[in-house]
Amino acid sequence: MIREAALGLSFATLTLLAVTAFAAEEPSTAAPLSGQLTITGASTIAPLASEIGKRLEETNPDLRIDVQTGGSARGVADVRAGLAAIGLVSRNLKDDETDLTAFTIARDGVGIILNTDNPVSVLTDEQIVDIYLGKIANWKDVGGKDAPITVVNKAEGRSTLDLFTNYFKLKNSDIKASVVIGDNQQGIKTVAGNHNAIGYVSIGTAEFESEQGTPIKLLPLKGVAASVENVRNGTFSLARPLNLVVKAAPEGTVKSFIDFAQSKDVRDLVKEQFFVPLQ
Amino acid sequence: MPDAVLYPGSARAGSTPTFFWRNLALQSFVWLASLLIIGVFLWLLGDILWRGASRVDWEFLISVPKSAGRSGGIAPIIVSTVLILVVAIAVAFPLGLATAALLSEYARQGGAKVRGVGLSLDVLAGVPSIVFGLFGNAFFCVWMGLGFSILSGGLTLACMILPIVIRTAESGLRMVPDEWRLGAAALGVSRSTTIVRILIPAAAPALVAGLMLGIGRAMAETAALIFTSGYVDRMPRSVFDSGRAISVHIYDLTMNVAGGDPNAYGSALVLIALLIVINSAALWLANRALDRKPSRS
Repeated sequence: MIREAALGLSFATLTLLAVTAFAAEEPSTAAPLSGQLTITGASTIAPLASEIGKRLEETNPDLRIDVQTGGSARGVADVRAGLAAIGLVSRNLKDDETDLTAFTIARDGVGIILNTDNPVSVLTDEQIVDIYLGKIANWKDVGGKDAPITVVNKAEGRSTLDLFTNYFKLKNSDIKASVVIGDNQQGIKTVAGNHNAIGYVSIGTAEFESEQGTPIKLLPLKGVAASVENVRNGTFSLARPLNLVVKAAPEGTVKSFIDFAQSKDVRDLVKEQFFVPLQ
Repeated sequence: MPDAVLYPGSARAGSTPTFFWRNLALQSFVWLASLLIIGVFLWLLGDILWRGASRVDWEFLISVPKSAGRSGGIAPIIVSTVLILVVAIAVAFPLGLATAALLSEYARQGGAKVRGVGLSLDVLAGVPSIVFGLFGNAFFCVWMGLGFSILSGGLTLACMILPIVIRTAESGLRMVPDEWRLGAAALGVSRSTTIVRILIPAAAPALVAGLMLGIGRAMAETAALIFTSGYVDRMPRSVFDSGRAISVHIYDLTMNVAGGDPNAYGSALVLIALLIVINSAALWLANRALDRKPSRS
């Protein structure tokens, strides 16, 4: 009893010490941030970045963080042109983007989805490639019903498309798509509304929609279930980082935002947007 | 064969029953088409009412969006939308009216100027809105340095609705009988007074119709606004701030935010209600203008 109390007391002292130490350090960084910060880029990250921005604004009333959307390519272009201080890029930086520095704030898995009405429950990587190349055009060839396959692909410039084509070593121009879509929810809605469709979307949102009763199901890849848990522990390989990118070494407001976005303070926001927080 | 004389078309078919059936077929097609149109409209409205009504209450209208718009309200979005609309109308209406007056009152009918302006207007009216969005982004946001702002969005929309406003105002002015112009001239009324005091009040219903078409197009716009007025869902402090329009909000909630559908329906209902309110106000204004029309006094 007494030992426990002593332990509790020392714990409290430690915490108090830690807090005082932290407070002592504060003045250098705690000066309220001010000014305007423009962030543009991937539509996938934009809602998360907005929410992170709002939370940072709460403690810094003079700070304005404006988040604009338009795709990863736009994020890269705007940061290079100086139109935005930070770009949102939902993939790894490419070889010709070494002039930029990326800071990962979360991860996102991409999973293959089918309509729940489709009896097919497993597809090998080769079968998926053949479906997207148009070599397999009917579900009966992969153990399903006798029905034509509706191939749902993402539009050019979307990071999910890059991730998908890189993973399966496909060239976008070779893909025989029946439907080309833009944002993530559009992919989910297209497959939910078409019994014979196949598409690929963000795993977190697909899990959520599926729990809400949307008629879609996620397929495993190489025997690994497409789940947020497997993206977190790294066993699911079709995954991507969600990055903040900057041109020069971050300082001032930019640095504060990046630090805040990578901190534990925003972990709940990351989860709320169905992404996977960093360890 | 009086039938064949009366209805030459039925002569070859040879009998009255064929004529009867053909008539019936056409009539039922016309009825079916109109029923279909009404049905689609009611379905759409019913769907939005059914799913949106439970979301919309006073709290929804006065609170700010939370969790990327999944919860909370749409107050800043309504304010931004109205501000964008005000900028667009304040620019497009006077410009449009002046151009329409030039086309119908000053320029020689059928001349090169009228045909040139007319052709460019018709081409502009057919340009997809995303093109206006890219133009607005390059011209207003970047070149003029206005950035992502309500002003950029409003000016882009003004460019987009100008053709509609000009064309309807022009045809409204043209419909005023020439006797009025001649009468005014005979009384020694100057041309500018004729336009301001006689022609514009007389053409008011057409002007308002053009305005309503313009507002309708502007309120429904997503593509032209996402790159100009932007994505920020905070309450704007001035027209130089970025502000999210209601159609951009609906688009984002349905296409980009998982679990955003209920609030998207609520926002759609608010959008329709806003349109009805604004259109009724415009109609009321038109009726007031009509009351002041010279023909009645």
